[in-house]
Amino acid sequence: MGVGSSHGNGLFFRTLTEKQAEEIHLASCQVLEDTGMVIHHEEAVELLRQAGAHVEKGNRVYFPSFLVKQALQSAPSRVTLYNRKGEAALHLEGANVYFGTGSDTLNYLDPFTLERRSWRQEDVTNAIRLCDKLPNIDFVMSMGLLSDVDPRMINREQYAIMVQNTEKPQVVIAEDGDTLLDIIEMAACAVGGKERLRQKPLFMIYTEPTSPLQHPKESVEKLLIAAENRVPANFACGGVAGASVPTTIAGALVQANAEALSGLIIHQLKAPGAPFIYGYGNSPLDMRTMQAVYGTPEAVLFQGGAVDLAHYYQLPSWGYAGCSNSKVCDEQAIAESTMFTMMGALQGCNIMHDVFYMEFGITGSLELLVISNEVIGRTRRLLKGINTDKESLGVESIMRVGPGGNFLGDDHTAKHFRDNWFPDLSDFNNYENWTAGGSKTMIERARDQIKQVLETYQPKPVTQDVRAQIAEILRKAKEKVGEKA
Amino acid sequence: MSDFTSLAELVINGNYNGAKDLTQKMIDNGNDPLEIINQGLMAGMNVVGVRFKAGDMYVPEVMMSAKAMSTGIELLKPLIADKDMPTAGKVVIGTVKGDLHDIGKKLVVMMMESAGFEIIDLGVDIDPAAFVKAVKEHSPQVIGLSALLTTTMLSMKDTIEALKEEGLRDSVKVVIGGAPISQSFADEIGADGYAADAASATELCRRIIA
Repeated sequence: MGVGSSHGNGLFFRTLTEKQAEEIHLASCQVLEDTGMVIHHEEAVELLRQAGAHVEKGNRVYFPSFLVKQALQSAPSRVTLYNRKGEAALHLEGANVYFGTGSDTLNYLDPFTLERRSWRQEDVTNAIRLCDKLPNIDFVMSMGLLSDVDPRMINREQYAIMVQNTEKPQVVIAEDGDTLLDIIEMAACAVGGKERLRQKPLFMIYTEPTSPLQHPKESVEKLLIAAENRVPANFACGGVAGASVPTTIAGALVQANAEALSGLIIHQLKAPGAPFIYGYGNSPLDMRTMQAVYGTPEAVLFQGGAVDLAHYYQLPSWGYAGCSNSKVCDEQAIAESTMFTMMGALQGCNIMHDVFYMEFGITGSLELLVISNEVIGRTRRLLKGINTDKESLGVESIMRVGPGGNFLGDDHTAKHFRDNWFPDLSDFNNYENWTAGGSKTMIERARDQIKQVLETYQPKPVTQDVRAQIAEILRKAKEKVGEKA
Repeated sequence: MSDFTSLAELVINGNYNGAKDLTQKMIDNGNDPLEIINQGLMAGMNVVGVRFKAGDMYVPEVMMSAKAMSTGIELLKPLIADKDMPTAGKVVIGTVKGDLHDIGKKLVVMMMESAGFEIIDLGVDIDPAAFVKAVKEHSPQVIGLSALLTTTMLSMKDTIEALKEEGLRDSVKVVIGGAPISQSFADEIGADGYAADAASATELCRRIIA
């Protein structure tokens, strides 16, 4: 399998040539072997030493290139995430694309009062309910950092909200290994046991190195727990080009790739064949404001390069979509998020997160989420390409209608017009009908939709028994973190 | 299910072959032709109208339903006296002098026919005298004038003036439409109505005839 993504019919997209992918791969291998990484985790260092890595000063690890090859050999080229019902939901393989939210924004842009404020549990609950309803949001992340719970319990409480308010798969952040173990417990309750969760994972865990070239203890700990429990995991550098990774796109790719591969090596040494999602991000540093910004053209290209490397390695890919630097859900927000969503889809990035991120990920907007749901719908239609079968060519229809006729009354139109995309939020009325409907702008219609969903929609609940078990896990965890304090 | 209900269903589903066959069968069985129209074909079309308004059916599907209804009507027409034929109203329509655009006007014709109007479509580039002649000949309740060009829309005013000169203006309602047309232009030239799209043109004619 070469680089590039084949979508519907003739539609094909690629960012790198196979030769470029190889150049980046070789450069990353050189970084791994000659510069190495600092790994703050004894077990991981030991695993690597025994596998043939060179270790200096206790934790500086130099990776011989054969370890890369070995890890790529054992890692699966496809990973499936399941929903709470145990049905296969996300097939992370080939050019399949899936979209979901991001985690842990500090501020909630309240769509009703329009204030920017801290997230409370009820806000995250509402946001997750909305995600459960939106057809083009395929998975959820925690969305908001909870301001009304014990800070050491945030990720556990977020998970409890997610798993009880949507059947969709999740991507999870965990403060540390203990948190991850509790999340595994909660997920196991929801799907009917640990063995079932292992066989049909409901969530994947997001872990990350600290660029440049360092592996924090907690990240590696989570990576190893994930490998052992067959929880799909990534090891995703969140690079800041010009600060934590090189400013050139290629340089950023080389280093981020080296970091991802080092994570993959540790992961596969711990449990060969455990599911791993390859990918990483890059938010280049804006040299005027010193902000790490989302979705610049370079960041979008970078993702294309990362996805083509995933194809080159035959690994599922991880990335971004639907996010913005804007402070409110305005024209900039839609321009940035839409470009990222569409390009990410064309790139064939398997699992894209951060849909609804504003202000570099500091704030979250449900309006952006709902509008992105529509943008993703448009995009999914684009990915189907052009069908050129006999029926679609429509020669007989053209013959029937003839010169000066009208296709509106022809059978072919009635049979096929519903294959086309229809808007949910976009307004296609003429001016008169638009004004008759209240002259509402897109964001006003988005708010109406949010209101309507939150007033009327109830996601499928978990059983009383599961609810009680989750409450018990949280209670024990509170005791545990209380003891530590 | 009675034959009437089945016929209505066939119309709703746009199954014009089925509607034709069942209408023929019902004629052969001695059903009253007017009842076949009112309780079968029109009953189905009324449901289509409701669904279209609610956004559950779209124009191409309405077209198929209209086709199903008219295949039935064709068979029934010879059996019914002209004056007894149910109709929503008679409308003469045309694109005004100097203008050859007719896609929009055709959509209006299709929509109105599917709503049960009898339409006499004069075609394109129709001068005021030709509209006057058609009004005399067909005695419609409404005439519809269409234009796409800002240069030809002025011919609408000329047509209205011509109707006045012939003393026909009070006997017929004039409605206008087309991309450059607005309600204020309609008011300015003394038209009885303006519709912004094909669906509202149907509504407009229903309203001003009632």
